[in-house]
Amino acid sequence: MSAVDRVFVVVDRELRTLVRNRALLVVAAAFFAVIVGLGALSRDAAGGYVSLTYDLLLVVEVLVPTIAFAFVFRSIRGDDERGELDVIRTYPISRLEYVLGVFLGRALGLLVLVLAAFGVAGALASGSGGAPQTFLATHDAGDTVLVFVRFVLLVAIYALVVAALALAVSAATRTNRGALAAAVGGVVVIAIGLDLALLTLVSSDVIGGNAIALFEGLSPASAFRGLVFELALGPALAAEPGDGMASPLVCSISLLGWLALGLGMATVAVWQESA
Amino acid sequence: MSTEDGVEGESGGSATDDASSTPAEATLSLRNAGFAFGQVTVLENATLDLETGSLTALVGPNGSGKTTVLELLAGLRSPNSGSVSRPDGTARSVAYLPQTPQFRSGFTARETLAFYMDLVGDDRSPTELLDRVGLEGATDRRVEALSGGMTRLLGLAQALVGDPPVVVLDEPTSGLDPDVADHIFATVEGIARDGRTVVIASHDLAAIEETADRVVTLVDGEFVLDGAPADVLESTGAPTLRAAFSDAVRDAERAAVQLEAPPAGGESS
Repeated sequence: MSAVDRVFVVVDRELRTLVRNRALLVVAAAFFAVIVGLGALSRDAAGGYVSLTYDLLLVVEVLVPTIAFAFVFRSIRGDDERGELDVIRTYPISRLEYVLGVFLGRALGLLVLVLAAFGVAGALASGSGGAPQTFLATHDAGDTVLVFVRFVLLVAIYALVVAALALAVSAATRTNRGALAAAVGGVVVIAIGLDLALLTLVSSDVIGGNAIALFEGLSPASAFRGLVFELALGPALAAEPGDGMASPLVCSISLLGWLALGLGMATVAVWQESA
Repeated sequence: MSTEDGVEGESGGSATDDASSTPAEATLSLRNAGFAFGQVTVLENATLDLETGSLTALVGPNGSGKTTVLELLAGLRSPNSGSVSRPDGTARSVAYLPQTPQFRSGFTARETLAFYMDLVGDDRSPTELLDRVGLEGATDRRVEALSGGMTRLLGLAQALVGDPPVVVLDEPTSGLDPDVADHIFATVEGIARDGRTVVIASHDLAAIEETADRVVTLVDGEFVLDGAPADVLESTGAPTLRAAFSDAVRDAERAAVQLEAPPAGGESS
């Protein structure tokens, strides 16, 4: 068996676990309903995809971390709690293979949910009555479905980043209570805490205006938001490159870094290799 | 061939990576192994060689470190000093069953076993292994619907996945009714007779006396009583293994108290 085969054995187990977990299916259905509901509400609003993206942005910053943690935080913790992690360690599978398998399986389920919810929301919004765009977009031509597609792709990336961080929590905690506390704390820190810290630093002049773009990378949520403004909304608003406060390069590196950090921490923490 | 992990102790971990050995001849060994949780010593300079095709029972008082020793043997922990060597040459060299095994809910017994078999590329049917442990009637039952005894049996079936030469079982009969416990001991004995090295921690001394080839008693970090059950009875003069075990624990505790007590007349020093 190759390493790839072993990873996919774990992926298969995680996907089956997701579809057989009723509590998780209920949470997923609620997430789907909220996102699709917001899409439906945007149906008759003026502003098209730009407006819809704005409407969903804040919701995404809170709901995506919540659903990502719900999908992931019990994965490795559960195996450890049942003693299955010790059993798995006696099989010829490395820490990285196991962690990658868990991540890919959970992330795949998460992506299907996110893409389906936002896809339906976008479809509902596109069926609007065609109210004229009288604000935000300086050019009607800029407000195309591409705005929303870019936004959804960025949401998917953001979901993967938070899922990786949730996996690190799942691997690093040693009790269910600790895992739950860390999951709630993780959602709060990612969705609100780091942004508040950044805001505090800016308002107290610790960070100057020129450095804001750099420090935005410290928070996954602000990096995600920066990319949405720069890559999805910016072109529709005909903003000139550099008009925004965020650096797409810094934000992209930040999200990749958080993703790698989450997976790296999970791999190191999941178990200690025998000497 | 064997794999070895651990730390070279003062007496030197004897490397057993001997090209002339084969999985059939391989033994599981602790060599001058030491392990401690902080200040609490679990094992001190301990050596243990376990033969292929034998069922060895590890007994000891609660908290004596039996689980830690099993984890050392299974490769789940590394010794602080000394070394552990295990047979090599198979995809899975050691199987391990924790004390109270549980499996991911929502899966049937067959699916659970299939996952583990896929991990190691075991081409047999899960049903074959379930039959082997007497779970043929519960193949398609979800694991959360299995009784405690059936869950242990599923764990035993899991231990056979990949045909490992060493099987390490941590109290597989604790909390089970006598009939199920007897069935599990009989199954474990059969696994050993297949040519595997089986190590089992248990408090069921009557079953051990009946089925084990060797019993090793762990007290205060040392293997204090070691031999075939009949030999242990003969050498100690105890009527039962339980009595021999109790005497060994009491003697070890008495020796520990004497070591800790100040020498007679030593108050002035």
